[in-house]
Amino acid sequence: MGSVKLGQALRSLALKSTPHTSHLSHHNNKLQFDKKENKMQIIENLNVKEKLYIEKLENGLTVMIIPKTGIKKKYVMWATHYGSIDNEFIVPGEKEITKVPDGVAHYLEHKMFEQKNGTNSLDVLTALGVNANAYTTNDHTAYLFEATDNFYPALDELMDYVQNPYFTDENVEKEKGIIGQEIRMYDDYPDWAVYMNAIKCMYKNNPIRIDIAGTVESIAKIDKEVLYKCYNTFYNPANMVMCFVGDFNPEDLIKEVNKRLIQKPNQGEIKRIQQEEPAEIVEKRIEKEVEVSMPLFVIGIKDIPCKRQEDIVKKHIAIEILLNMLIGKSSKLYKELYEKGLLISEPYLEYEFSQSFAHIAITGISKDPDKILEKIQEEIENLKNKGIEKEHFERIKNMLYGNNVKEFNNVSDIARMFVSDYFKGINSFEYLENYKQISIEYVTEVLNEVFLKDKTVISIIKNNK
Amino acid sequence: MSYTSKYIKQGVKLHCINTNKFKTNLMAVFITMPLDRETITLDTVVPAVLKRGTEKLKTQEEISKELEDMYGASFDCGIEKIGDNHVIKFYLESLNDNFIPEKNKNLAKKSIELLFDIILNPVTENGTFKEEYVEAEKENIKILIDSKIDNKDQYALNRCIEEMYKNKPYGLYKYGYVEDLAKINSKNLYEHYKSIIKKSKIDIFISGELNAKEIEEIVTSNENIKKLEQREPKYIVNNEQTEKKESIEKKEIQDKMDIAQGKLVIGLDVEENRANSKFVTSLYNVILGESATSKLFQNVREKASLAYTARSNYVRQKNNIYIRCGIEVENYKKALNIIQEQLEDMRNGKFTEEDLKNGKKYITSGIETVQDEQDSEITYYIGQELSGTFTTFKEYENKINEITIDQIKEIASKIKINTIYFLRN
Repeated sequence: MGSVKLGQALRSLALKSTPHTSHLSHHNNKLQFDKKENKMQIIENLNVKEKLYIEKLENGLTVMIIPKTGIKKKYVMWATHYGSIDNEFIVPGEKEITKVPDGVAHYLEHKMFEQKNGTNSLDVLTALGVNANAYTTNDHTAYLFEATDNFYPALDELMDYVQNPYFTDENVEKEKGIIGQEIRMYDDYPDWAVYMNAIKCMYKNNPIRIDIAGTVESIAKIDKEVLYKCYNTFYNPANMVMCFVGDFNPEDLIKEVNKRLIQKPNQGEIKRIQQEEPAEIVEKRIEKEVEVSMPLFVIGIKDIPCKRQEDIVKKHIAIEILLNMLIGKSSKLYKELYEKGLLISEPYLEYEFSQSFAHIAITGISKDPDKILEKIQEEIENLKNKGIEKEHFERIKNMLYGNNVKEFNNVSDIARMFVSDYFKGINSFEYLENYKQISIEYVTEVLNEVFLKDKTVISIIKNNK
Repeated sequence: MSYTSKYIKQGVKLHCINTNKFKTNLMAVFITMPLDRETITLDTVVPAVLKRGTEKLKTQEEISKELEDMYGASFDCGIEKIGDNHVIKFYLESLNDNFIPEKNKNLAKKSIELLFDIILNPVTENGTFKEEYVEAEKENIKILIDSKIDNKDQYALNRCIEEMYKNKPYGLYKYGYVEDLAKINSKNLYEHYKSIIKKSKIDIFISGELNAKEIEEIVTSNENIKKLEQREPKYIVNNEQTEKKESIEKKEIQDKMDIAQGKLVIGLDVEENRANSKFVTSLYNVILGESATSKLFQNVREKASLAYTARSNYVRQKNNIYIRCGIEVENYKKALNIIQEQLEDMRNGKFTEEDLKNGKKYITSGIETVQDEQDSEITYYIGQELSGTFTTFKEYENKINEITIDQIKEIASKIKINTIYFLRN
């Protein structure tokens, strides 16, 4: 009977058929290309019996295809490496820094559907019988549809609207009321507020502190000039990836993509300005009062982004193993807290990271969140002192492996996983390969490096009555 | 891909879905009984206690360990209102043997056995449930019931339904009522459990790349299943033909809560009892408010910029449509007027062939993809089972494609507002 689940923080265009908010999942093989030879690479994973076809086109666009025979759904996602945290940057070819209001990436996502001929591409796609949507996260923006029929007419439309923005004062203004209500809706979600407060406790300067949609005040400053500027900077093919999952022939599909691409020069690197982020947290504890039946909490542990790209996947798996050993469903601590009535379902455990931030988030509800924090910290010390038990470790590893395989069940989950991992420099198959290589020694090292008391915060929301 | 179903005992049905689309096998058991104010809270405590332990695995911790050992098999249970029935649901999902590193593990068999053990062979003490487990779960169910205020959108919808179905079974809250909990003890709960298992309708679903014959053999030879008696289960068949609406004066209800955004819910009655009219109503609903080209999305959101969510959904078992949108509290009248205009336009036939065509496409492509999601497919079949009709995916599509504009206009004239509910600050 459901635990509190946050999932990957994202804002989607329309509430219907919101892309599945499965947690930031694990997934693996390095994505490296020979700059001159843009041949299609085929990467096969025998664990899940799936293949990834990947090619970097001449204009810099990366195309990933995961064929699924016998599935009726055809799924495509076109995403740009541009999210809510990219609010300060240098446009290629310019010298000055551009700073934009909070919420532009998300605003742009809403407005991309407007067409010069007066139509709205969301309507056109819906009329074609495909299920279209878009969403914005802190590091990317994605446009997608799922089709059983009319796939190529819909691809025409998708590639047309993503390549041809049309903003007017009037159509930009109109969206303020809609996004304003989207922001207000989130104001009524206590699980969103408790999560954002935990982020603010951990980060001083990193723009992950900003709500993906911005605020009613910040979006008031958005106009068509800002939207065009951000569009021209970040919607360059070299900054984008296209991912297809479904019953496709990869060679033919690449030809179809090429046919629909507008020639744009590969513009070169976008310089993203990153504020210096201290390793320390901002504050240990934050509490807010809202009308809820039971307190909600997020325990956060701030980490330093992984410097060596080749270690990211291993580290992610190690942290997931540790979190499950600490407070997962079969852990001693969960049993104790459940029996004491302090937890009624297992907390939701995740490790969120990008090039510029990394942290653990443990999310749940409890009548006494501070006690949960105290107990978890005690258990971390126990684990550090007593060491990791082999049987428990192997069992959790098998479980996580199984969970990872399950993520290959659904075409939309597969596309989302490959795209969000891609922007972190990860090939989702790498996870499946890495489970075998994780040792107790390595996990112990991560435990001692990451699970630190002085990097831990707690955010609580409780009743105002 | 094939679907077969057969009674393995009177009142106990096995449904097999053979599909090679997934990495997993999904097993589900549904226990169905009529919604009843007397027993609704008891029903809710039952699965909560069952998940605590079996005769073999006496604690939740042992069950969790077993599931983890089975490459992260996952167990879940829950409770749902489907029409006038209360349905207790149990799920177990595990990897198909093709995707585990070990040979000859037969996870499917193990999963089926574990699921049946949890449901049918619980740990007991002195001939009843363990008192410790019952008391703890009563406490947890209290928390669950109290948490209905936490999700404001859902709360507003539940309140609207409660007002529409005052003193009727469908108006009951699916998790029951806090005041009942004090009367529940391990003895009367165990008796209730025994009677459910003895008398209720049981549907067992097994989906995956499996051999239906072998599955049937595993299920029918299972000791827990063998002990089940045949039964003449009581449950309620709900479909458009069973739902006779009385014309009533429309009600406006408002509640206050400390919220940022007002939540408007409008409950509509569909006063039509002809067989197959639900296909027409579902198409009406798509044109009104389900898709991005719908009247509500276009007019409340895109044109008036009043809302981010503006949509409707059709609950076919009870033949109701619910319109939902999140708005500024001061825009209540404005939004309500626009919504009423859309209902009026539907009655006056102010929609196009294009809308009809788009709506059909929307539904038929949705139906086609049901089979691409393992749990959606099971949900489709249990819905069919409880509505007493059987429509294949193909027939479903055909019935949608046959609908004419006149049929939509006709249904529109029979759709009336029952309750306008507004949760505000």
